[in-house]
Amino acid sequence: MSTAQTANTTDAQTDPPADQTLLRIKNFCSWYGDYQALHDLTLDIPRRQVTAFIGPSGCGKSTLLKWINRMNDIVPGARAKGHLSLISDSDNASKKELDILDQSVDVVALRRQIGIVFQKPNPFPKSIYDNVAFGPRLHMRTTKAELDELVEWSLQKAAVWDEVKDRLHGPALGLSGGQQQRLCIARAIAVGPEVLLMDEPCSALDPASTLAIEDLIFELRSQYTIVIVTHNMQQASRCSDRTAFFFEGRLVEAGDTTQVFTKPEKKQTDDYVRGKFG
Amino acid sequence: MSTMPSALTSQDPKYLTNNAIRRKRLSSWFYGLCVAIAFVSVLILVVLLAAIWAQGQSRLTVDLLTRAHSELEIERSGMWPSIIGSLIVCFVCAMAALPLGIATAVFLEEFKPTSKPLRLIHGFIQLNIANLAGVPSIVYGLLGLTVFVYMFNVFGQIKVNESPGLEIMGADHYYQVMTLQPGHVVFVPQEDASVREIEITEPIEAVDNSGNRFELAVWKPGTPRPKDEATKRQTIEEGAIGGTITRRSWYYFRLPLDKSFLSGGFTLALVILPIIIIASQESLRAVSPSLREASMGIGATTWQTVRHVCLPAAIPGIMTGSILAMGRAIGEAAPILVVLGATVMKGGGPEHLMDNAITMPVLIFNWAGRQQNEFQELAAAAIIVLLVVLLILNSTAIIIRQKVQKAHN
Amino acid sequence: MSLPKALQSKEFRSTRIGVLSERLIVFSLATCATITVLITIGIIYMLVSQSAGFFASDAVSFSGFLTDTEWTALQSKDLEKAKFGILPLLSGTLRVTAIAMLIALPLGLVTAIYLSEFASRRIRSWLKPTLEVIAGIPTVVLGYFAILVISPSLQFFTDGFTTFNATSAGIAVGILCLPMVCSLSEDAMRAVPRSLREGAYGLGCTPFETSIKVVVPAALSGIVSAFLLAFSRAIGETMVVALAAGTLPTFTFDPSQQAQTMTGFIVEMIKSESEYGTVQYFSLYGVAMTLFVITFGMTLIGQIIRRRFQESYQ
Repeated sequence: MSTAQTANTTDAQTDPPADQTLLRIKNFCSWYGDYQALHDLTLDIPRRQVTAFIGPSGCGKSTLLKWINRMNDIVPGARAKGHLSLISDSDNASKKELDILDQSVDVVALRRQIGIVFQKPNPFPKSIYDNVAFGPRLHMRTTKAELDELVEWSLQKAAVWDEVKDRLHGPALGLSGGQQQRLCIARAIAVGPEVLLMDEPCSALDPASTLAIEDLIFELRSQYTIVIVTHNMQQASRCSDRTAFFFEGRLVEAGDTTQVFTKPEKKQTDDYVRGKFG
Repeated sequence: MSTMPSALTSQDPKYLTNNAIRRKRLSSWFYGLCVAIAFVSVLILVVLLAAIWAQGQSRLTVDLLTRAHSELEIERSGMWPSIIGSLIVCFVCAMAALPLGIATAVFLEEFKPTSKPLRLIHGFIQLNIANLAGVPSIVYGLLGLTVFVYMFNVFGQIKVNESPGLEIMGADHYYQVMTLQPGHVVFVPQEDASVREIEITEPIEAVDNSGNRFELAVWKPGTPRPKDEATKRQTIEEGAIGGTITRRSWYYFRLPLDKSFLSGGFTLALVILPIIIIASQESLRAVSPSLREASMGIGATTWQTVRHVCLPAAIPGIMTGSILAMGRAIGEAAPILVVLGATVMKGGGPEHLMDNAITMPVLIFNWAGRQQNEFQELAAAAIIVLLVVLLILNSTAIIIRQKVQKAHN
Repeated sequence: MSLPKALQSKEFRSTRIGVLSERLIVFSLATCATITVLITIGIIYMLVSQSAGFFASDAVSFSGFLTDTEWTALQSKDLEKAKFGILPLLSGTLRVTAIAMLIALPLGLVTAIYLSEFASRRIRSWLKPTLEVIAGIPTVVLGYFAILVISPSLQFFTDGFTTFNATSAGIAVGILCLPMVCSLSEDAMRAVPRSLREGAYGLGCTPFETSIKVVVPAALSGIVSAFLLAFSRAIGETMVVALAAGTLPTFTFDPSQQAQTMTGFIVEMIKSESEYGTVQYFSLYGVAMTLFVITFGMTLIGQIIRRRFQESYQ
């Protein structure tokens, strides 16, 4: 496939209203050592919506996701260029734009604002309660009662409270895969993030658990901005508002999910969503 | 379609069968050889244990465990001071090597640099540690001798009754003077440490054996000599000479460390440091990276991640490795021999920080190198004691390992 | 459902203190790591500065040190008559080491092949601990074993062995190195991917051919590095030779004679409590330097080979 087809990417998307934008990505490039993983991306991610990144393996969607909360910092040789900023409305009055790639950015505070859920459920080998309380204990000063309330709230939000409330102090590793993943979501929202990044959160789960997580994503949309990387076309079409299609490190097309799946502008996108490759 | 190559079509079937039989036979011979050789190691162990047991079991007595080495009463020589000495030296060794080793392992494993020059330094430190693990322990002994015992002679060489080095605390210097009461001495506090002797002509403040201060009276020859014992105990003849004596508290500390158990412990720490680092690194590496990501993803700093996630998960492995390293330290003789010397004359454990100590392996070395049959048997008995101590240590390590494996499954 | 109080207040801990303490911790951890480098520097500095006192003496020349065939630092108190040629000590070390390697390498390698390719789980579960126990035996115990059992057995079966001889020390050092060769080689062989073995069996190889022609060559660099590490361990071994190899430096290749090794000499010198500062005393460091250079070089090569090999399978 020639790269000429994918060269002109910026005009492919329909921008959401500017004041709705939470994450602004402009002319973004990224490298692992000498290998360029992402080429000149421009994309806006709107507030309180679910944005899905789709594309074949190795197209760079997970790389972009991990740049958003700087998880790539711990990868040797990873570097990025361009503009990637978080427009926060913490006090609602003045909008502040935070340059995520800036070296002086407090990565710890950033990751509190932008939580992440990984492909494989990775609860700590501690109790369920301690897993959820892990983040709050690091970031906040809370009384025991406040912490209890927070843990319960997070677990309820993550739709796993009813299943675990009787064994809060039992080991988290004793839960099923789907429960573990929801526990990880609860752990991520317990520190009060604005954005939730999800890196193929269902790929290690069985169909029933996948459905439960998809429902959960739909619910969480009212409070969080969610970015989800997925291989699964149906999943993207079921639970996202907007979809961005990546191919070979470039953004091919981005827009409303229904539009991308029914009337894509690019032939490549059409081929991919119809399952002709990837 | 081409025809089959002749090598495939024109083979003698008889040859093929014979060849297969021959190869299979060779393989089974080899298998037999493997089994036989693998059992050689078992045989060695059995012979070794049996021989030492046969040689030493008759000497496994209470005396062995409670008495000290004696040249005169060989029959009743024991290893009590060496047991205490080994324990104390290993305690010092653990206190020095464990924090240092684990911290280094954490740094190398969890704080991997991303920039190129730092990565090179990281790789260099890593290679250096692997090399340190291969340095013969006797070279560490010499290092300990130079760095801890003599400290490159920066503080002067310690010589008995001449130079005490740089005393920092716990030493009280006195002049020891005979009183009129025969056999009774009192102590006059020393003011200038460089004056090795004083001549007492005037009454002076002194202390007696139990630490009471009093004014020491001087009796001039020709005047009436005091009669009652209490006065005699506090009076000296005019012009009496006092030589220096040092009383050392348990916290007596000086530089250089000289041949003290601290030197021995630190030297052993050098020997086992690479072992502890490598074992700790391996256990940290075994912690799943996904746990690290999870913790970082919530916004924990690297150290918080290490402290709350990685170390708790790795601690059983680190402990197993450390216990095995301690086993190595207890059995190590060469560096201790170099640092503390080969003497085994000591009645008990160390009395102050700068006191000498003897360890079990050095005692065994000393006894095993003697001609007398009794000492040969005593050496075997001491080996049995040493092996039992090691057995206890190692089985603790194995139990920890198995518990962890069970918890993981 | 309302937001819990803890999240409403949005009072998060200041991260500035966190960043500062993080830096402090990283700094102190880095200091610990630097100490390991300082140890190496300390060893080298000590050996160089102290052996300078030896080589600077008029009685010693560097070429004589390397070529003289007599070493009498302990025997002659008179410096004029003392001879400082490292060759007798080196030959002692080499004799002991060669014998040790003759024992440890074949036995260790074959045991490793057995453990990694053939042994059933049950046999592994007690053969491995046996080897670990042997590896954990203090060297002074093996030295005692050499004079208690090995030496008398050698004298019983053949004539001409003195009580202290290179062979019995060598055998004991070999026993000491065996578990090391075995476990390192086994690690190397276990790292060979299963697919290689399956490929070999698929072509109709017998188990013998699979292990000798496929697994061992694939693990060769790991095995070679195991050999090198064992070799340097044997050269640096002290207590066994101090007890069993005798105290006479002899320049010969006869393994039935006494053989004072480099490490054996160091122990004897320390035991004799020679006065600090004499040339004889400093000769200690000259010997230690030779020992260090040889073992350090061996270990370095072994490590480099091992690293290459590890990378190739990642």
